[in-house]
Amino acid sequence: MSEPHSNRQRARTTTGVLLFTVCCLLSSLRMVYKTGNPLHIQVDDAGELSEKRFAGLRTELPNRGVVGYVGESGNAGTEDYYRAQYALAPLVVDRSKDHPLVVVSVSTLPPKPDTTGLEPVKNFGNGVLLFSNKGAK
Amino acid sequence: MALAWAVISCLASGYLIVAFGWSREPKLPDEKLLRASLSIGLGIGVFSVIYFLVNEYRLSHVLAIDLVVLVLLVAAFFTLRRPGSTPAAFEILASESIALPPWLHRVLSGSFLFALIVALYSAILRSIAHPDGEGWDAFAIWNLHARYLFRGGEHWRDGFSPLIPWSHPDYPLLLPSAVAHFWSLLGRETTAVPGVIGLAFTFSTIGLLFSSLAILRGRNSAMLGGLALASTPFFVEQGSAQYADVPLSFFFLAVIVLLHLNDAYLAENLRVPGLVGLAGMAAGFAIWTKNEGMLFLCACVITQMTGRSRQSTRRVATLLAAVAPFLFLVVWFKHSVAFPNEIFFNRPAMLPKILDPSRYWVIVKWFGKDFLRFGEWWPVPGTVLLVLFYSLIVDKHRPQRGPTLRASVWTLGLTLAGYFAIYVITTYDLYWHLRFSLNRLFLQLWPCVIFLFFLAIPFESGKKVPNQA
Repeated sequence: MSEPHSNRQRARTTTGVLLFTVCCLLSSLRMVYKTGNPLHIQVDDAGELSEKRFAGLRTELPNRGVVGYVGESGNAGTEDYYRAQYALAPLVVDRSKDHPLVVVSVSTLPPKPDTTGLEPVKNFGNGVLLFSNKGAK
Repeated sequence: MALAWAVISCLASGYLIVAFGWSREPKLPDEKLLRASLSIGLGIGVFSVIYFLVNEYRLSHVLAIDLVVLVLLVAAFFTLRRPGSTPAAFEILASESIALPPWLHRVLSGSFLFALIVALYSAILRSIAHPDGEGWDAFAIWNLHARYLFRGGEHWRDGFSPLIPWSHPDYPLLLPSAVAHFWSLLGRETTAVPGVIGLAFTFSTIGLLFSSLAILRGRNSAMLGGLALASTPFFVEQGSAQYADVPLSFFFLAVIVLLHLNDAYLAENLRVPGLVGLAGMAAGFAIWTKNEGMLFLCACVITQMTGRSRQSTRRVATLLAAVAPFLFLVVWFKHSVAFPNEIFFNRPAMLPKILDPSRYWVIVKWFGKDFLRFGEWWPVPGTVLLVLFYSLIVDKHRPQRGPTLRASVWTLGLTLAGYFAIYVITTYDLYWHLRFSLNRLFLQLWPCVIFLFFLAIPFESGKKVPNQA
């Protein structure tokens, strides 16, 4: 390889490595910015709140089996359902009224869940209620 | 005490398996780092399988079972392992493919260290801020399955009911089972366990990438590769999100790295047969982590089988022999516990989708879009940066790429083609499915892409130069 060519290649390598390094560092700096201030961490406590919310209900339900679930519709309702399922495991929580016992989760926002055909059993507070469905198969 | 035992037995199991498959004593720091990184991932994998079998056969005293497995591994290590007879192989392999002036080497070293610290900082803070993981999959799928394994006793299979929508009961159980194993040793559930496992896989992947590149291409390439991965915001975010994509990326990378190491040794007329066995084991853990692991395994076997030499036949046979127990485990799990995957549920509906050209065009556009914006880099996308870097530093007149590199590239290409095909036939809304999963599929392959990229950069003068380290 001729010397001018070697020098050109070395210059290209240096430029390439510098450019690569700078771009990676900019991305890292943005990661620092997006992560935020460690002294002001906002902990997502939705999981812990959900566990507490359903804690009383868990003691009233059997250890295993399937219970129904009725909650609000939409994305918030879906997350609420999965949080309820996670909190009540190893019970299986079926998003249906067609079970002898049905968990009803009520939020403060309308519309209220449809509890037609269900009879109230107990109110655990925090929008968590247990209903029964005598007509369930 | 229980926590210490759990961590020690997990890591020791992984270490013994790695050491058993790799008889030579590690001499160089990079070699030790490589083994340590592999030990973490394989140890968690072994832990997962142990707990699953304990649960399935309703054995009590998980602690005792762990001890028995550890004793057996130690016994196998000392009785069956051949003493390291290879000469200083890594001293032969270690060399620099990218020679840099000392000042630039120092700048690069400092930058890599900075990026690593930032990644650690970000991952830890995110884990603290989101103890249940980020996004729904953590508590709706992975940790939910862990709970059923831990709380369900002999009724743990209830958690794989089709009554729980979108929980993917067919997903394999490496993560949930490993989490449940740690919970059972601790005697309680804690959100710290899945969080720490996520961090362990994230930084083991970086360690594996760095150390393997250091051995095969020198420290400069290793730092550039490690810098690229540690600076990928999406990789760090997903690593702490308690999803399974980063663990899967670890096992994909382990397979590729081990096969390349094996071939690098063979090129120096040295044999370390256990490396292909370890690669098979890593592939086995990949299929036990997520369904995409099966696709990767098929792609890997196909590309390895295209070589016509006796070596390739022997390699494929060793790979398949190592994967076989995991294949049996996964097939048994899917047959006896899991329900069919939703994507393949409605087979008559597949044909119209396969024949619809508009679906292909949508998927191509999304692949193109995500190629450009993958990783959440700023300001230059990581994929574009790699292309620019290659065009700058690689001279036109270069040696040919080796067969192993070609096979690995084909493996990734076939895996991507498989992902493409899944989107064609998906039962979900196509836009929804692409939007919420494509970037994670790319993430599974990203560490391998970085590894193969730096492997593709040939030695500057066609000869190896001494490692600066």
